[in-house]
Parts: sequence; structure tokens; C-alpha cells
Amino acid sequence: MTFFKELRFNFMKDLGGPALMSISRKGRKRRHRAPNPHFGPALKSATRLKEIMTRHYFLSRYTEGAKPVAWVTSGAPVELLRAFDFYTIYPENHGALCGAKKLGPELCAVAEEHGYHRDLCSYARIDLGHYFSGKSPAGRLPKPDLLFASNNICQTVVYWYRALAHYWDIPLILFDTPYNFEEINDSDVSYMVQQFEEMIPVLEQVSGQPFKYRNFQEVVRIARDTSLAWGEVLATMKARPAPMSIFDAFVHLAPIVSLRGLPVALEYYQTLLKELKERVDRGTGALKDERKRLMWDNIAIWYKVRDLADLFAEQGMNFVTATYTNAWTETIRYLDDQRPMESMARVYSLVILNNNLNHRLKLMERLINEFEVDGLVIHSARSCKPYSVGQYDMKRLLMERLGVLSVIIEADITDFRVYSEEQTRTRLEAFFEAIDA
Amino acid sequence: MTQFYGPSRKRYIRQQKQTHGRHPFGVFPAHYPREILWAMNVLPVEIWDPPLEVSHANAHLQPYICSVVKLGLELILQGQCDDLDGFLFPHTCDSIQNLASIVYDYLDIKKPCYFFYHPKAPYRSSSRQYYLEQLQTLASRLEKQLGPLDLSELKQRVQQGERLAYVLRELYTLRARGELCASNTEFYRVIRQGEYLHPDDFLPILEGFLADRKGQADRLCPIILSGILPNPQEILHLLDNLEARVAEDDLLNCSRRLLQPPVAREDPFEALAENYFAMPPCTTKDSPLMERVGFLLQKAAHTDARGVIFCMVKFCEPEFFDLPQMVEELKEKGLASLVVDSELNQGLSGQLATRVEAFLEMIR
Ligand code: SF4
Ligand code: SF4
Repeated sequence: MTFFKELRFNFMKDLGGPALMSISRKGRKRRHRAPNPHFGPALKSATRLKEIMTRHYFLSRYTEGAKPVAWVTSGAPVELLRAFDFYTIYPENHGALCGAKKLGPELCAVAEEHGYHRDLCSYARIDLGHYFSGKSPAGRLPKPDLLFASNNICQTVVYWYRALAHYWDIPLILFDTPYNFEEINDSDVSYMVQQFEEMIPVLEQVSGQPFKYRNFQEVVRIARDTSLAWGEVLATMKARPAPMSIFDAFVHLAPIVSLRGLPVALEYYQTLLKELKERVDRGTGALKDERKRLMWDNIAIWYKVRDLADLFAEQGMNFVTATYTNAWTETIRYLDDQRPMESMARVYSLVILNNNLNHRLKLMERLINEFEVDGLVIHSARSCKPYSVGQYDMKRLLMERLGVLSVIIEADITDFRVYSEEQTRTRLEAFFEAIDA
Repeated sequence: MTQFYGPSRKRYIRQQKQTHGRHPFGVFPAHYPREILWAMNVLPVEIWDPPLEVSHANAHLQPYICSVVKLGLELILQGQCDDLDGFLFPHTCDSIQNLASIVYDYLDIKKPCYFFYHPKAPYRSSSRQYYLEQLQTLASRLEKQLGPLDLSELKQRVQQGERLAYVLRELYTLRARGELCASNTEFYRVIRQGEYLHPDDFLPILEGFLADRKGQADRLCPIILSGILPNPQEILHLLDNLEARVAEDDLLNCSRRLLQPPVAREDPFEALAENYFAMPPCTTKDSPLMERVGFLLQKAAHTDARGVIFCMVKFCEPEFFDLPQMVEELKEKGLASLVVDSELNQGLSGQLATRVEAFLEMIR
């Protein structure tokens, strides 16, 4: 790290960045879409969210030489990296951004030209496409000094990060979380704790900083409080009408994924929670007329979030819960700053995608009951086998056990070349009819 | 030369039950401690590419799931596993992981299911310790169904596994040198019987095959097969007809599970762990890419192979992720490659056959 680059980073963080962003905000012409008459008033916190995330990506351009940079998978125990002051970039979050901006196929195609098969996860293809082309809606992502992956969400991330490690010739740390086929045991936990201990010298070497246990505990505390706050945010949707929708939550989860462990994320969710509670008190809903309440399963269809939000709003149907958004709060109760390593092993290895399908079914049953759900929309995401394999049976079992109607949409998270508008519409129309019958 | 082939799987499984009281277990790909199963009088019957039409499995699995997983589930759904006394699911990839959970949690199959998680690379000292504990945990879970594990029996089975690996390595070495008189089709037909024959029966077959076929073979164009398994089988016939010799392979169901010369260990669990970590690099273990490249190049060097054919199973993420860099690295080292991408048991299309022909013409 050089003194000049650190100085430049700090200047941009405190003064230059905010000033430049405010100029660019003023200069940018806003495209206004006609407001959808079925929606309630928009969330005010959304403006603050945009600022936070823009600033995060903007500042990342000044990190090289000033701060150690790590690229991290969405389910990795980032708390450990924060203790070494890594600037963290989440390629999956970047993939979602590219998906929402409808850049998925373009970036995937670049990876495909380099031999990556079209059937591979599109987050990975987007990221590799970014690696080869440098294209990004976020301007430019900083080159990492370290790759940090956990296979608690999928094995795919390991193959993907291994490719990046090979191209960049940088270290890859894997946090290997045994899949919970039945129940994790002491041997699984001690294996994970040992891995944390083995990581520390590598992190010290890459960051050039010693491990400070107290800092780490503080980060763990902030991360826990942030995830708890995120859980409270999601819980506000138990109210009728729900003050926000899952489509909003898909956007508002960016800080819990990318900035977990940092005070800014905690402050943000406290602000959002306050706003949501006020809406609940006033009876302000995400929809003006919430007739039916739905659950979403799997990652968002990023290029369709807006269209689907409109479509369901027209039907008076609001998504009030999702297995996906719940993932960043579900296991947080295990996190304990007095036993950070051991508790982190449980928090991260028991997440939905590292847990057996019986667990997932029970979770869905609980959410359906707690959020008073009338129907379920299942996104079968071509990219994501761990999330999707088993959904056909889940649909059947939820119908048998709870009589909950559901529909499966065959799509992808970002690559809309495999999305059929016609087929989706037909299925959804049948679903709307059935749920209203 | 039919003496190198045992009975069909179905007949064999029944025979084993009747004559030895063995417990046949359906085992999904790929890495698992078969010696522990042998020692507990279990007959592991591996499920890779049963010759079935997929129909029932489509109600449970999306179209974008690989055919190893689909065929395995189909086998269960068609009731063809009724003779089995249990299942073992190693943690191979995301698709097998979820399949295991579908079978155990969602299908009321009423058979014991066991799971085996092997630590993923890069390996550290924690990986070794954990692997050892996983072996012990599996053994103690099996004990609940099958009674106590006899350690001296396990020791013997470990030695038998090493002997089996020794003979297999001999076969591979002879083939690599062009000193094994066997067609590609025959070679894989013989060695793939290890997927279901008990070592007491498989070892004599292998030894007989080795003794009988040792000798100077025709000088054919040497190539390497990489990927999951040699399927479609028609590719082996085609290579035979085109006078190409598979001189080595890097197939998950074959040489990637081949034990290296063992390190002496008193404790059988430790021996199993040592053997496991000494095995060749593999995508399903998350081995670093350069280890895989190095492994392939080494094989190419000692066989004088002219090219590599990657036999890919459609929708197989572990293999497809490594492919671009493997192809690029091999190209840099002057080794040509061809990618054959197909569903299992679907035969070789005319187009694929033409590509294989063109590839062989190019490298000859
Ligand atoms: S979309 Fe699924 S497969 Fe892709 S990185 Fe995320 S969890 Fe892994
Ligand atoms: S072929 Fe590939 S995806 Fe399918 S089970 Fe084997 S390793 Fe997994």
C-alpha cells in the first residue's frame, strides 16, 4: 500500500467522492416511468440505498494500492476479512446489477467466446465476461488481491473463483462447509473452526496487517446486529397490508450482502426499519389493494423484477416473503461475539443452500404460515442447481401438506436468452385464475 | 474372450446376497471409501449410466440436470433398486448433493441412506483430519445397520484395494506403452466391472486379463480421454475402427480414482486417508487447475499422445468450468483437444462421429 494512494482513497471517501457524486447526480437526466396506480407510495429510504451502493462501487476505483481488495462470494464469512480492513467486492451482487440493467447476455456472450459453456451459472459467466472485457455498469471493478469463497451456497463458486485465481494468479481462500445432509456435528464444526485458524496467516500476509481479535469481535457484533435488523425489516411484511414487497427487498438486500459487518449497513437498515414501521402504523402498503399474499422461491429474475412487480400488482398480489431474502437472517441467531469462530461456523454452514431439502420444506411451511401466504411462485433458475433441484417435489409436497397453490417459472437469474415471455405469461395467467377461484 | 466378464449386475447382486449374505448398496458417483463397505460385507454397486430411458425422473428434475443424476433417479423410480439394502451418496457436486436430499427427504424409499462428505481442495491439515473423521463417522453409522466393523477385516480389505489398484496400474502402464493387446471397447468393458463386482471376483478377472493380454499391441494413434466416463460407448467403437488407441485417461470413473502406490500405515483408516489424498487431481475435489493440467501433460508425455478428447456430460458444471483453461493450456503446450458433449446413452450422432474422425486425421 502506498501512502499517496491511501491519501487519495481517504480523500475520495470523505470529500471528493461525495462532491463528484452530487455533481453527477445533478447532471444526470432521470427517466421517469409513469407511476403504477396499483402501488402505494415509494420507499423514501431507496434514495439513501442508491447513494450507499453507488458510493461503494465508486470508491472501489480508488482502492488499488490503498487498501487490500478481496472478491467474496455472497455466503462467505466476510467478518474475518473486515478485521483486516479488506475492501470487498461481491461479484454476485455485480452480476445481479448487470442482470437488472439487462446486460446479462452481452457479458455472458464474452465468456462464451472464451469457451465457457452457455449452461454454466450466468453470474459466473457475467463475471468472467467482465474479466475478459472490462465492461461493467459500475464503471470498473478493482482487481482483487485475494479471492475468498465459500461453498455454502454452491460448488459452482469454487470452480468459478478457481478460474479467476488461475487467470490473475492470486490466492484463493476456500471456506469449505460440509453440506448438512442430516445434522452438522462437532467434527464438522471443528473442521470449519480449524479452517478459520488456517486462514489467518494468509490474510495477514495478503493484507499486511496483524489479526486484531477485538476488532474482529466488533465486526461480528455489527454483522449480527445488521442481520437481525434485516430480519426485522423482512418481518414487517407480516403486517396486512405489507409495507413493502419482496421485489423491494430484492433491491434493499444489497447492503446485507455486500456491506455486512460495516456500520453503514446497520445504520441503513435501522433507517429502513423505522420507515417501514411508520408505514405499518399508518396502514400504508406496498400495494394500494393487497388482495393476495405470495411467497417467492429462489433468486430474483433480475431483468424482470420490474415487469413482474407491475404484473402482480395489477392483480392485487403482493410478495410478502421469500426464501432468498430470508437467507441473510435465518441463521444469525447462532452468531456470538464471545465464541466468534465456532458460532460463525454454524451461521454459515446452516444457510438454506447448505442445508438439506427437508429443512427447506419446513422453512417454507413456517414462512407460509407466519406470513399468511396464499400462493407460491417458484423460479426454477437454470443457473442455480443447488437452489432449483428439488423444487418440483417441494411444489407437490407443499400442495399436499398445506394446500398451497403454486406455479413454476422456468427462467434464469440474468440470462434472458432462456426466458420465454409467452410461456411465463401463460403459466401465470393460469395461476392467477386458480388462486382467485 | 468372455471369461473376462462376470455375470450381469442384476444376477450378480442376487447371487452375492444368496451365497455370501452381502448387502448390496447403490453408490452414486464418485469418491468413497469402498474398503470400509467391503469390510462390512457390503457390495457397493455404483450407479453411473444405467441403460434406461428417462421418463419418471422428469417429474422430479429440471431439463437442465445432467444425465448421471437423471438416470440414477430413474433407476430408483423404476423400482430397479429393490434388491439393494441401502444407498451411499458421496458429495460430488451440487446436482448429486440435491439428488441425495430428494431421495432421502422427499421420496419415501424406505431404505437406509448414507452420505459422505469429502473435504474440498486446496487441502490443508484440517482437511486430512476431517477426512479421517469422516471415514470413522461413516463406519460407525454403518455399524448401526450392519453390526461392528472388524478392524483386521478392514486392514485386509485396504490391502486388497491396494492390490487391485496395483493390477489396474499395471494394465494402464502396459496400455500406455502399447503393450496391451486389447481394444478400447474391451479395456473399458473389463475395468468398468469394478463398479459392481466384489474385489474377490474382480481381482482374478483383472489378473487374468493382464496375463492374457500382455504383449506388443498394434501401433495405433495414441490419444487421451478426459471427462466423467467413457460414454457414449459408441465413441470407443469408433476409436477402435479409426485405429486410435486410448493410451491413457483422466476419467472420473476410471483413473481419477486409481490409487497411487500406497504408503505403509498400520492404522487402516490412516491408510485410507493417505491413499485418498494421493489420488490424481479431480474437478469434484476442487483440485487446482494447474494440477489437472500437469497431470494430463504428464500422461501425454509418457504415452506420446497426440491429443485429448474431452467426453463431457451435458450440464456437468464441474467439468465444463475447467474446460476452457484446460484446452488453452494444452494448446500452449502443443496438445490438440476435442470436446464431445452428449447425453449419456444417446449414442454418437453422425455429426459428432465426423468431428472425431476429423480430429484424428488432424493429429495423426
Ligand atoms: S446462482 Fe446459484 S450456482 Fe450461481 S453462484 Fe449463486 S448459488 Fe452458485
Ligand atoms: S456428470 Fe457432473 S454434474 Fe453430473 S453427477 Fe457427475 S459430476 Fe455431477
